[in-house]
Amino acid sequence: MNRVINVARMQLINKWIFLGIPAIIMAGAFLVTLAIWAMIPDTGAAKYAGSGQAVMWYFMALGIQSLTLTFPFSQAMSVSRRTFYLGTVGLFAVVALAISVLYYGLGLIETATGGWGMNGQMYALGWIAAEAGIVQILFYFISMVTLFMIGFWFATVYKRWQATGMLVASIGTAAALLGLVALIMWQGWGPQVGQWFAAQTPLTVAGWAALFCTVLAAGSYLTLRRATP
Amino acid sequence: MNRPTHAKAAAPAIELRDVSKEYKDVRALDGVSLSLAGNRIYGLLGRNGAGKTTLMSVLTGQGFHSSGEVAVLGGNPYENDRVLSRICFIRESQKYPEDFTPLQAFRAAALFFEHWNADYALQLAKEFQLPLKRRIKKLSRGQLSAVGVVIGLASRAEVTFFDEPYLGLDAVARQIFYDRLLEDFAAHPRTIILSSHLIDEVANLLEHVILIDRGRIVLDDDAESIRGSAVTVAGAASKVEPFVAGRTVLHRETLGSLASVTVEAVLTDAERRQAADLGLEIAPVSLQQLVVRKTLAAAEEDSATAAATVMEVSR
Amino acid sequence: MIDESRPIFLQIAERIENDIVEATLAEEAQVPSTNEFAAFYRINPATAAKGVNRLVEDGILYKRRGIGMFVAAGARDRLRARRREEFARQYVQPLVQEARKLGIGIKQLTDMIESTYTATQDTTEGSVAQ
Repeated sequence: MNRVINVARMQLINKWIFLGIPAIIMAGAFLVTLAIWAMIPDTGAAKYAGSGQAVMWYFMALGIQSLTLTFPFSQAMSVSRRTFYLGTVGLFAVVALAISVLYYGLGLIETATGGWGMNGQMYALGWIAAEAGIVQILFYFISMVTLFMIGFWFATVYKRWQATGMLVASIGTAAALLGLVALIMWQGWGPQVGQWFAAQTPLTVAGWAALFCTVLAAGSYLTLRRATP
Repeated sequence: MNRPTHAKAAAPAIELRDVSKEYKDVRALDGVSLSLAGNRIYGLLGRNGAGKTTLMSVLTGQGFHSSGEVAVLGGNPYENDRVLSRICFIRESQKYPEDFTPLQAFRAAALFFEHWNADYALQLAKEFQLPLKRRIKKLSRGQLSAVGVVIGLASRAEVTFFDEPYLGLDAVARQIFYDRLLEDFAAHPRTIILSSHLIDEVANLLEHVILIDRGRIVLDDDAESIRGSAVTVAGAASKVEPFVAGRTVLHRETLGSLASVTVEAVLTDAERRQAADLGLEIAPVSLQQLVVRKTLAAAEEDSATAAATVMEVSR
Repeated sequence: MIDESRPIFLQIAERIENDIVEATLAEEAQVPSTNEFAAFYRINPATAAKGVNRLVEDGILYKRRGIGMFVAAGARDRLRARRREEFARQYVQPLVQEARKLGIGIKQLTDMIESTYTATQDTTEGSVAQ
């Protein structure tokens, strides 16, 4: 257990990767969005921005980085793959939870200040903001973990099978998605699928994402167990 | 030097039984069996690509073997934190996290090696003139090697591997490494495995020599028994040949009627006198020469077997 | 310093013996520790220990528990006696062999030895007197 925590501490030795850059992205996106809103004349309609989610995408890159750069080093530090995995994913989960709570808090401020005084919506996006606080936090959290796991899984595939593995995994994923779309069109399931998507709530989306994420997490772990530095 | 004689010392530090490793078309390790008692400096010698790094990777759970059994400090190292926490292996081509400085790498090492000595690491870094706050990816090859050497020494791990640690180091830095290794080993006896293809430089540091060639163990013996285990007999071919008859010949050179034959033999005083009476010159063979001869002899034997197989097939 | 082609522990033992014969190391004087030998000659400590232990077994050195190694009383005389025994085989025999090869007669050889012996006497005696 101690070594698992030490893996997290090792990932934090360079504070920029896990803490500094996310903080800059969040602050930067916030300020830039406010600046843009300030320049748009107020027409009474709400102003939307997806920039609040920018940091989520960084976590996909983070998933890739923490594996490709730190895994070979962790092997030299005599850390087992299991310990490395638990420490890295665990640290990420803590960071993602903290950011989720922050998002929720910022959403509350946003609502309370009338959209930062400019009728804007950056954090408290309508579809999610209507939900209970705990559901909001859960939704953000699972979204970020999913993105991280996607990056992490691709990186483990790369680590183990190099470019060939990446290519096969990418083409395979694309082919599966295309096949699914083709199947839906061919079977004429379009309307039902549309209804199904429309019926989703943040909670059910989080549920599906959690399921997907669990599969990715298991896949990453099994792949990592046979990876060499 | 005092060898600790607690109960654990009885179990070998490293044990391999018939370990093989196949890549697509090569056998990187081919039926390797070894048993290494602890608290010694071992030399893992062999040419580039002989299988040294593969062997060390398998021993540290960083790489995988295809068949056979591996035990380090009494357990299989793979995914075994109990064993791994007592091992240190920095690869020759070790990767470090992006933007890490040597100082940060040392801080990470302090988290995982329980006998880590931070003061010693800094003292070594100073001796190697290592820029502590420069990014590792901007260091020279020699400085990169020095980072690995410092971590290896300061980890004071029970089993420490050094993978061609001298690459890019200048003569002064190499001497510092050898001196510090001996000094620290004397003060804190542990199992050191030093992989090298520069045999002359490290020969005197070693207590035991393991020579690997194309994945096979060619030699596994105490350095002191190897020294003086072969001689070169030189003189008139007509007198050299009867003298070396019946001995294992490692190498033979002829020049006109003169011959110089290297044989595996420890000559008795009587034999030396006999050689002197015959007018033969007896020259000792250094560890380096012996390793070269052994490697070449193993290769020759192999190609001879291969040629024989080809002939069998074509017949 | 170290000859790579002969067992190093023998060379270490010989060096200590030499120091004793030449009286650089006096009887009852402390001998450097094996780790000091190892560091000085840049050799494996176990190898140095093997060389020293050989002299202990021989009774040339003795151990004082917790303090170190010392030159035994009478070690110098014993070593000199042993070397005298080996002198003929180690030095005279090859000398005579080479002389024969070159056609140097016995008279000529003894003359050469005599003159060399006299010429170097002063310096040799000087070092012994030390």
